[in-house]
Amino acid sequence: MSLKLPGSFKKPIPGQFLMVRIKGRNEPFLGRPFSVYSFAQDGRGVYVEILYKIVGKGTMCLSGQKKGALLEIHGPYGTPFDMDKYPRNVILVSGGIGVAPVTYLASQYRHYLPAAPHLEMVCYHGVTGSRRLLGLERLKEFCSDVFISSDDGTVGYHGSVVEMFEKDVLSYNPEDTMIYACGPRPMLKKLAGLGEVPRFRCQALLEEHMACGLGACLGCAIRVRDGEGRGAYRRVCTDGPVFNIQDIEWDY
Amino acid sequence: MAVDIGGLKLRNPVMTASGTFGYGKEYAPYVDLNLLGAVVVKGVSLQPRKGNPPRRIMETPSGMLNAIGLENPGVDVFLRDKLPYLSQFDVPVIVNIFGETIDEYRRIAEVLNNRPGIHGLEVNISCPNVKEGGMAFGSDPDMAFKVTREVKSATGLPVIVKLTPNVGDIQAVAEGVEKGGADAISLINTLLGMSVDIEKKIPHLKNIVGGLSGPAIKPVALRMVWEVVGRVSIPVIGIGGITNAADALEFLITGAKAVQVGTANFINPKATVEIIEGIERYLRKNKMNDINDLIGTLNTGGNVC
Repeated sequence: MSLKLPGSFKKPIPGQFLMVRIKGRNEPFLGRPFSVYSFAQDGRGVYVEILYKIVGKGTMCLSGQKKGALLEIHGPYGTPFDMDKYPRNVILVSGGIGVAPVTYLASQYRHYLPAAPHLEMVCYHGVTGSRRLLGLERLKEFCSDVFISSDDGTVGYHGSVVEMFEKDVLSYNPEDTMIYACGPRPMLKKLAGLGEVPRFRCQALLEEHMACGLGACLGCAIRVRDGEGRGAYRRVCTDGPVFNIQDIEWDY
Repeated sequence: MAVDIGGLKLRNPVMTASGTFGYGKEYAPYVDLNLLGAVVVKGVSLQPRKGNPPRRIMETPSGMLNAIGLENPGVDVFLRDKLPYLSQFDVPVIVNIFGETIDEYRRIAEVLNNRPGIHGLEVNISCPNVKEGGMAFGSDPDMAFKVTREVKSATGLPVIVKLTPNVGDIQAVAEGVEKGGADAISLINTLLGMSVDIEKKIPHLKNIVGGLSGPAIKPVALRMVWEVVGRVSIPVIGIGGITNAADALEFLITGAKAVQVGTANFINPKATVEIIEGIERYLRKNKMNDINDLIGTLNTGGNVC
């Protein structure tokens, strides 16, 4: 879905999200958070694309919106990906709709290229089946390699994206590699569980149900290990949505 | 637009509801805090509280359920890290306090007494999401009386007591609170509710039950405000599903001297200021100069509750 916003809308940093709500309606009541897929601007305004899959009431209503419909949009919200490093390798690991934020991230890494001419970006992307594969062309534009996997074997590697990545992981040097991941929670949990992953810097973007999106309601809490290794709750909306994958507690 | 809530002077009757506005800073990019009647901060306890395990919220028709569990960093961190930011603004700051025992309520009131930058206390005896304290104190008139009296004896600040709707006789609890010396009453906190995932056959909330808020509860809140203003003589602050100026005006006409805006902040960060502007427009349209001339003007044809 493509959104037109006023020119004053701040450019999102990769990893940040927007809260989108259907205007003037109490049903669905709350806004829904969506990662930014692309950003563009011209003299008339700002254009942001989001990707969504129909999973519930909110996305169902969104899919029923006609071209030109008015939406309530707040943002950009959230603590973005840490892009301040200039690694040799950038690895994107995404599942399903999780391709949106990593694609936007990849598009913004281009600006780093003059300072990091050896930077190489590859993407491992998993889908349930070939019909769910989208955005491949755009990924190929930014990445030197895009590896696709599918649960049903209809496209690319037959199996999970984490299994596919696991076969390659030893070919990367953890010293100069940054992994960015976004996808369903079981996928991220599996990634975090790979024996080699703790040696890498790996940032994961999480999804959670939200009410405010700006840090007030404390509704989107997840459990993490804090600096001293103790369990603590963090807000996905403001402390995240990007977390160090090693800090996330998956079972509680 | 100015109102007086038990000695607390507000420039207008629109306050934020505890737990929906963080510590003010979260909303400062959207709202000029100086325009608000008061800021009521997220509930503070003596010790830090981690809150409940997720999932903590669930959307419902015209509202939401929450079971946050009073997550907060504790009163010391509040005073050190949160209050100084709010003190820069020219807006009354009301600290919502919570304890698991009557003694804890008294002690936190003592800690907050004589602190610059704090203009009042709101005593939460109505949280449905914690096992100890909270709603247990708010559902028994005698306990409500005792908590109020303890807090009053420990502070010179105006004391507002926030009531739970999850009781049989809200008037009896309100009377207990008035007798205990409260300067004002605010109501309602959330209505206890529940929601089930039919595919997984589990409650949506990890806490199983949670507090319902949003437009869905407004009629219940309004009815309870009406019952309480008919019974006590201290000011009443209306809370519950207020999303726009018309909602707020319903409460004011019914007799609430002020209102708190809660869940509406989540779906519209500018809700409070838009409500203030809407009330001003209503007064102008009706050629009224003083909001106090509007409060309690409900005409029930002589019927009382």
